[in-house]
Amino acid sequence: MQTIQSQHSNRVLVIGGGMGGIRTALDLAEAEKNVILVDKAYAIGGLMTQLDRTFPTNNCDLCTLSPNLSEGSRQEFIELLTMTTVKDVKGEKGDFTVLLETAPRYINLDKCTACGDCHKKFPECVRFTPGLDHRAPTCMRYPQATPQAFSIDLAKCTDVEALMKCCPAGAINPDDMGRKREVSCGSIVFSSGGALFDPSHLDYLGYATQPDVVTSLEYERILSASGPTMGQLVRPSNGKQPKKVAWIQCIGSRGLQKGAGQYCSSACCMFALKEAIVTKERFQDDIETTIFFMDMRTMGKDYELYYLRAKNDFGVRFVRSRPHSILREPGKENLSLTYSAEEGGRNLTEEFDMVVLSTGFRVADDVKELAGKLGLQLNTSSFPKTDGFNPVVTSVPGVYVAGVIESPKDIPETMVQASAAACMAGRDLGITEKIEYEIAPLPLETLLVGEEPRVGVFICDCGENIGGVIDVATLAEFAGTLPHVAVAELKGHGCSRESMQQIEDTIKTERLNRVVIGGCSPRTHEAKFQEVVRRAGLNKYLVEIANIRDQVTWVHANHPDEATEKAKDLLKMAVGSVVRSQPLADHSLPMNKNVLVVGGGITGMTTALQLAEQGVKVFLVEKSAGLGGFAAGLWRTLEGNDIQAFVKDLISRTESHDNIQVITRAIIVDHSGMPGMFKTGMQTGKQMFYRQIEHGVTILATGALPNRPRLYLLDECEAVSTQRELQNLIEESPETVSSWDNVVMIQCAGSRTPDNPNCSRICCQNAVKNALRIKEINPEARIFVLFRDMRTYGFQEEYYQKARELGVIFSRYSLDKPPVVAASGSMVDVTFTDPIIGRQITVTADCLCLSTGLIADEDGNDELARIFKLPRTGDGYFLEDHVKLRPVDLPVPGFFVAGTAHGPKTIRESVGQALAVASRALTMLARDSINLGAAAAKVNRDLCAACLICVRACPFGIPFINADGYSEIDPAKCHGCGMCASACPAKAIQLMQFEDDRIIAKLEELFERNIA
Amino acid sequence: MDTFEPVIVAFCCHYCAYTAADMAGSQRLTYPSNVKIIRVPCSSKVDALHIVKAFEMGADGVYVAGCLEGDCHFKNGNTRAARMVDYVQKYMDEIGIERERLEMVMMSAGMGYRFAQVATEITEKIRKLGPSSIHAAICRQHVDTCAVVVE
Repeated sequence: MQTIQSQHSNRVLVIGGGMGGIRTALDLAEAEKNVILVDKAYAIGGLMTQLDRTFPTNNCDLCTLSPNLSEGSRQEFIELLTMTTVKDVKGEKGDFTVLLETAPRYINLDKCTACGDCHKKFPECVRFTPGLDHRAPTCMRYPQATPQAFSIDLAKCTDVEALMKCCPAGAINPDDMGRKREVSCGSIVFSSGGALFDPSHLDYLGYATQPDVVTSLEYERILSASGPTMGQLVRPSNGKQPKKVAWIQCIGSRGLQKGAGQYCSSACCMFALKEAIVTKERFQDDIETTIFFMDMRTMGKDYELYYLRAKNDFGVRFVRSRPHSILREPGKENLSLTYSAEEGGRNLTEEFDMVVLSTGFRVADDVKELAGKLGLQLNTSSFPKTDGFNPVVTSVPGVYVAGVIESPKDIPETMVQASAAACMAGRDLGITEKIEYEIAPLPLETLLVGEEPRVGVFICDCGENIGGVIDVATLAEFAGTLPHVAVAELKGHGCSRESMQQIEDTIKTERLNRVVIGGCSPRTHEAKFQEVVRRAGLNKYLVEIANIRDQVTWVHANHPDEATEKAKDLLKMAVGSVVRSQPLADHSLPMNKNVLVVGGGITGMTTALQLAEQGVKVFLVEKSAGLGGFAAGLWRTLEGNDIQAFVKDLISRTESHDNIQVITRAIIVDHSGMPGMFKTGMQTGKQMFYRQIEHGVTILATGALPNRPRLYLLDECEAVSTQRELQNLIEESPETVSSWDNVVMIQCAGSRTPDNPNCSRICCQNAVKNALRIKEINPEARIFVLFRDMRTYGFQEEYYQKARELGVIFSRYSLDKPPVVAASGSMVDVTFTDPIIGRQITVTADCLCLSTGLIADEDGNDELARIFKLPRTGDGYFLEDHVKLRPVDLPVPGFFVAGTAHGPKTIRESVGQALAVASRALTMLARDSINLGAAAAKVNRDLCAACLICVRACPFGIPFINADGYSEIDPAKCHGCGMCASACPAKAIQLMQFEDDRIIAKLEELFERNIA
Repeated sequence: MDTFEPVIVAFCCHYCAYTAADMAGSQRLTYPSNVKIIRVPCSSKVDALHIVKAFEMGADGVYVAGCLEGDCHFKNGNTRAARMVDYVQKYMDEIGIERERLEMVMMSAGMGYRFAQVATEITEKIRKLGPSSIHAAICRQHVDTCAVVVE
């Protein structure tokens, strides 16, 4: 890492090593730009590492995130500085000088194996972060921490000598000084994340006094397997499993409590839903879950479905109310929660075992101070002010923000901004000559032809994790007796730097040609050990992992004998399989560095311009006659920015850029090739000439369509319009608006219904925007907004508040009781029941405006999905590869999606995604060739009868019968599922890495031992 | 039959069931050690031959575990696998192995508890069924080393 430091300011400083900062750093590093990533904590990972699961897949967070963390630690372009803070910032874009201060860790990172001996023997000396981590078992916040090392608090240590001696690795260094260091950089990404609201001062919630009142993050820690209770859900007060849990939303958000932010924290509704679902998943009918909320804000992609699942499938109970107080009566175990029912306004009291406060985000004081050092202007809520159309651009050129510090948000949106910030910050470094770094060349791979297998078995004890349950020495002895095994050794923590070096050395000295690791899951560690064997001169596919931790000692901890027997079986199976493994070549292809952007709206143009300005040639394909897209017909944003001027500027810059070729009236008709060398055919122009383009990356920015449901007399009565038409009227003939007495708006017209279950995300803020504009023109106008949940997330909440202050009346209706609309001359009668006053009201409106939202372009997307072989969501939007961590990457390599083609979103959010896909594309374009891995199906032509079964079986349509009359599978396109291999009646197809003989070998080894 | 410990093979897809098995581990849930997992990229990679081989070699039970319906990483691998399991079951009666010994199960990556529950239920079921006829036959040939008491 040290050798590649550049002396000049040709690098980016990323402040904050949460998942956003990590993404920014990884994007830049993959685009071959130098990064310094600093974090004040002992390990990177931020808030996400403390979560148990993430919505909507309910996957384990650590499992999802930790591969990213270790990726972060091994990237050669990233210099990682933990326990480091920014002291001072000088200079300007292109040439910043930053003073960094690193606190002493007293542990040599290269030697520490994170064995935990120091913590066991001197718990008082081992440092941990106070606050939430008071529940963490060790100072290492989670088992997969990067860097994987402990940290010592020397001040608390009385016997330094003894402490040093207790470390078997000799990693403790009491002379560690810490250091100050000045670094120069060209741009800065500020991704410090958010702090959580502390509800201690709100005595009526009892957080400070009642142990069973916890914050949502604390509840997450209690659920988490790496948490203080090892994943047991128990009440902090008495250690018993709770039977009734309540969540209270909007704690510290929406200006409700003392010290609360005026904004909506955006993520807490989904957070609470997820916690309630996970709780129900684990305990089913044994537990009751209730969420007290004001507006359920599930406006993200497919989030509404998650809400419906919580309600309908999991039986989570929802109460629309803001509880008044939480008390525990003397002598009672349970908490009494008092709230008023929405209808009737009666006061109700209900008992709960545990209450979870859904605390929102805020800007931490030290982060505010740091923002000051960076010279950033802040908004009234202390978040940095950002550009009206570009969410990552701050008031200081060269300084960008991403994640919660820009505005409260969830993980996917943070990932989008992280990539967007990487794009902007990387651009400030300019296009640089590729520097050839001196990376030690890998040794040539040993040829195995004619060699007998010599297997090395390395068994981890993983501290107590494996060694505490089974006798690893016996296991190693057993492994030594297996056929072909030349070496069987214990390796402590096999994944520590030292052990990996030892394994590498043993492979060389013992001339091993196959390796088995008995340790944790191959899902998390296979790549690591593949690197080790490769460094030792073996093909990386000659290693197999026996999962004796996650699938043996962790699950059979109480039955050590059975665990030992099973571990032996697994080792035997792994050895049997690995001796049949063959060296495999990763498939790679040369990279075509041109990009195809489909869609010429704001998103497509923004992406095209970003790429073009970074030296990439772009083909921008638009199906209509001109650029501009949907936004060209819009006027202003909620914040008052001029959309028309913005779009005009984009169009003129796009059309005049030398690196962009705009192709209008183009319809894509065919597509072939593979990532890095695609060919896309289209018919263009008035004559519909056929044209083919060669490109390496495809970006979809095809947008969405305005919905136009046949509801509430739309298109039947002149007084009924959509928000978009109302906006035109406001801007084009304000005199009409000033003559109005009554305006009614109906939200969710055609959204959140059984036909179109998702939320259109943009309509609530649109209604607020238009209501505010009407009030500006005609302050006397009475405006009624009929809504189901007001979803003015983030800073939009402030405009919602302003509208209420100006007298706009917001009245809730429910799906089963929608407003009734009847024409009345040139006016419209709208009849609805207000739940607060409990009365039916009829308003005769001059204008009834429907918030109709967006829908996916069903026909257009269907066509493109078919041509490009891309998956879509149930409602027709393109489906990303990973909804959490790869929100703009499509599952087919080389494809990305941005803007409303991904799901409904605002212009700013679309621009954010446009920048993010540019960054993701640049990570691919930096490479000269593309690695596709080795798990691909291979046809033995001599066995193939061209029966077409594989052609029909493949879900991606990859196999075809070639000119020579046998089935051919392009390894670059093969997804590696093996469906064709199992379907093939002649067994002519083998899936590499999972060949039949290896699977059979596993069975043979298993049964040889157990039977007979 | 008190000493009978069935041997059960679980073919688990990498994306869901195998991850769920790891998840069961990280949640420290327990299930019988009789279940031995073989990782496959997708449940559809499991071949009828693999299942039949397992029984031939003496497996008392086999199950294929894939993603939840609609969640397959490879679009429809899990439903294909379910069809294949159905197909093999039809022949099991014919060759004298109870069809209950083979099963298809589905779970998401996050369902550690379900993995443990399924493993426990299937082990119990197979325990009740007793050794498979092939397992029993193998044991008759190797009385000295075989743990199963054969009448």
